[in-house]
Amino acid sequence: MPGHRTKGFCASAAALALCAVLAGCGGSGESAGGGKVVLRYTWWGNPDRAERTEQAVALFEKQHPNVDVSTSFSGYDAYKQKLATQAAGGDAPDVMQLDYRQIDQYASGGVLLDLAKQKSVLRTSEIDRGLLATGRVDDVQYAIPQGRGTETVAYDVQAWKKSGVPLPGKSWTWSRWADTMRALAKKTGKPGATDPGQSEDAFEVWLRGRGKALYTKDGRLGFTARDLTRWWTFTDTLRREGAVSPAEQTTQLDGSVENTPLGRGTSVTDANWDAPASGFVALVPTGVALAPMPSGEDGTPGQYFKPSMFVGVSANTGHPKEAAQLVDFMINDREAAKILGASRGIPVNETIRAEIGPRLKDFDKTIADYQASLEGKLKDPPQAPPSGDNALQSTFQRDYDQVSYARMSPREAAENYVTEAKAELRS
Amino acid sequence: MTTTAIPPEARRAPAAAPKRRPKREREGAAWVFLSPWVLGAIVLTLLPMAVSLYLSFTDYDLFNPPKWVGLRNYVQMFTEDPRYWRSVVTTLTYVVIAVPLQLALALVVALALKGMKRGKGFYRSAFYAPSLLGASMSIALVWRAVFNDGGTVDNLLGTGGWVNKPGWALLAVALLTVWQFGAPMVIFLAGLQQIPAELYEAAAVDGAGKWRQFLSVTVPMLSPVLFFNLVLQTIQAFQVFTPAFAVSAGKGGPADSTLVYTMYLYDRGFVASHMGYASAMAWVLLLVIGIVTAVLFRTSRSWVFYASEGDR
Repeated sequence: MPGHRTKGFCASAAALALCAVLAGCGGSGESAGGGKVVLRYTWWGNPDRAERTEQAVALFEKQHPNVDVSTSFSGYDAYKQKLATQAAGGDAPDVMQLDYRQIDQYASGGVLLDLAKQKSVLRTSEIDRGLLATGRVDDVQYAIPQGRGTETVAYDVQAWKKSGVPLPGKSWTWSRWADTMRALAKKTGKPGATDPGQSEDAFEVWLRGRGKALYTKDGRLGFTARDLTRWWTFTDTLRREGAVSPAEQTTQLDGSVENTPLGRGTSVTDANWDAPASGFVALVPTGVALAPMPSGEDGTPGQYFKPSMFVGVSANTGHPKEAAQLVDFMINDREAAKILGASRGIPVNETIRAEIGPRLKDFDKTIADYQASLEGKLKDPPQAPPSGDNALQSTFQRDYDQVSYARMSPREAAENYVTEAKAELRS
Repeated sequence: MTTTAIPPEARRAPAAAPKRRPKREREGAAWVFLSPWVLGAIVLTLLPMAVSLYLSFTDYDLFNPPKWVGLRNYVQMFTEDPRYWRSVVTTLTYVVIAVPLQLALALVVALALKGMKRGKGFYRSAFYAPSLLGASMSIALVWRAVFNDGGTVDNLLGTGGWVNKPGWALLAVALLTVWQFGAPMVIFLAGLQQIPAELYEAAAVDGAGKWRQFLSVTVPMLSPVLFFNLVLQTIQAFQVFTPAFAVSAGKGGPADSTLVYTMYLYDRGFVASHMGYASAMAWVLLLVIGIVTAVLFRTSRSWVFYASEGDR
């Protein structure tokens, strides 16, 4: 009967429309694959880190047959954006890798779980107290550092040796560094380094070498437009001389080693963090070595040991215990540590570090030796950057684009940046 | 059901005037039929719009509850944000490049297709294909590779990678849009086929050449379609996002040269976590598109010719 069918159709159409609406409201962490607990685990990093992490995760799954870990990773820039969107939507992964920059924002925004609540399965007794404290916000342990990193000048050993320029020593000043880059460019015909002007990290090292800091203790800007003008004038000059990478290459940097000039074989060195530098091994098969970052003209070191790559658990996770077990495994498990090596920096668990340390091999050993060579020489790390820094990092890179494409003078761009930074930190 | 099963009153139905149902009941039925759309419009469009309007007057970082700040976002946008104005200029440049190029190409191809005797269906589909593919991220990524250092364009023309040159990157983005001329082309083609053949015959008898026929017959007769396409493509061009995002690897670079309005909006909202500011930007964009469309409609009176008005 036509009349009845129409009514039935309407009702079911309306019901369908409602279902579609409701379907969007399902919470996270309720997913179960074949009765198993499913955990989402995400991080940023290079393919080498991904491979080792996958191996460690497979071992975890073997030990915990009821847990299925679904992993995903990407380069830092993409990771940062995706995680922010997920977290804002209440859909943060169960276990996530976090940067020093993100902790403040994510903890105060209620994204992260108080890890003390999972003390029974997540041990922290073998981690240095000072280091562990870097994962606290308002006295709550929201995240645990997985390693300790510092910046480095990674270089293509063969290309450098062939050029006849003396290899870098245990320390150098920024002006020595600049002269060396000029010499390398002259001898090899390609830029000595990635243009460091785009990197807020490199600027921080330079700034600290002059006794200043990116941020003051109360989270305001720790430098003036004049300081930044001086830095950008320095790098802009080097770029014009061809000693560092041209704008077309610098603009392609996205936090992955593959898109650095060194990774593409178009420069001799690249300033990067030490753990991700392991990604260069695959890209520069003739060998990569690590030199320290340049220091201030009076020898004041600018680089520091930064607690790196924190791991946190989502406040919305449906399986806090299993998530904490995974974190514990990644940090405290001996077998996992053997697989992971120094792919996230030197292990933080002191027992494991003592045991694994001497047995590290290949590039892991290079990193360990590099860090050992700096031990005791560096100044204390700054406190966690204010939450606005997360956005400022990209603003910094963008404003420098205007300089390297010669669309603005270093002074104009620096003044722009300081204005933007002040607005960002105020809000 | 077979014909024999039809009840007798149904067979009689056409003869007798149908019994009119009360108005209210008919309206009710209409609402029931509309309900899927109405629900969707309310939940997925109107509510979010209302929330966005509210957020545009707040400081909202996604994590903490929104704080009311009055007009501060709007004031900051217009007076304290040089990058905002750069994105406005970039977007206008993009609209001015992409829309005319796309419409011109669509019209030329439609004219060529109209005169074709064989294989019309095939070519029409072939030219339409990019519009189907074009919205996808993968094509935009291929586009980036084609215009990058060592990409196809670099190898053929030796120009270097367009996507890394501030003066050229926006053109690469615009070309990706222009390439997707399928939708306006199909509409043009339909419009062309509506033009009565006798107009051309009459023009030919009067001694008009091909070019003259195009200017005096095709263009005026096609002007309503042209206007429709212009309005539609302009509205879309103001909102361009995906090509700019993919071609610049999500950064709007180099040197902000592809930082179109919606890219900057995305950057403020999702990278810098200033959802209030991003919402304010969205409302300004809505207003501007509304104004531009209104202006187009107003000017259309002087150049759009509707055949039905011709008799007056």
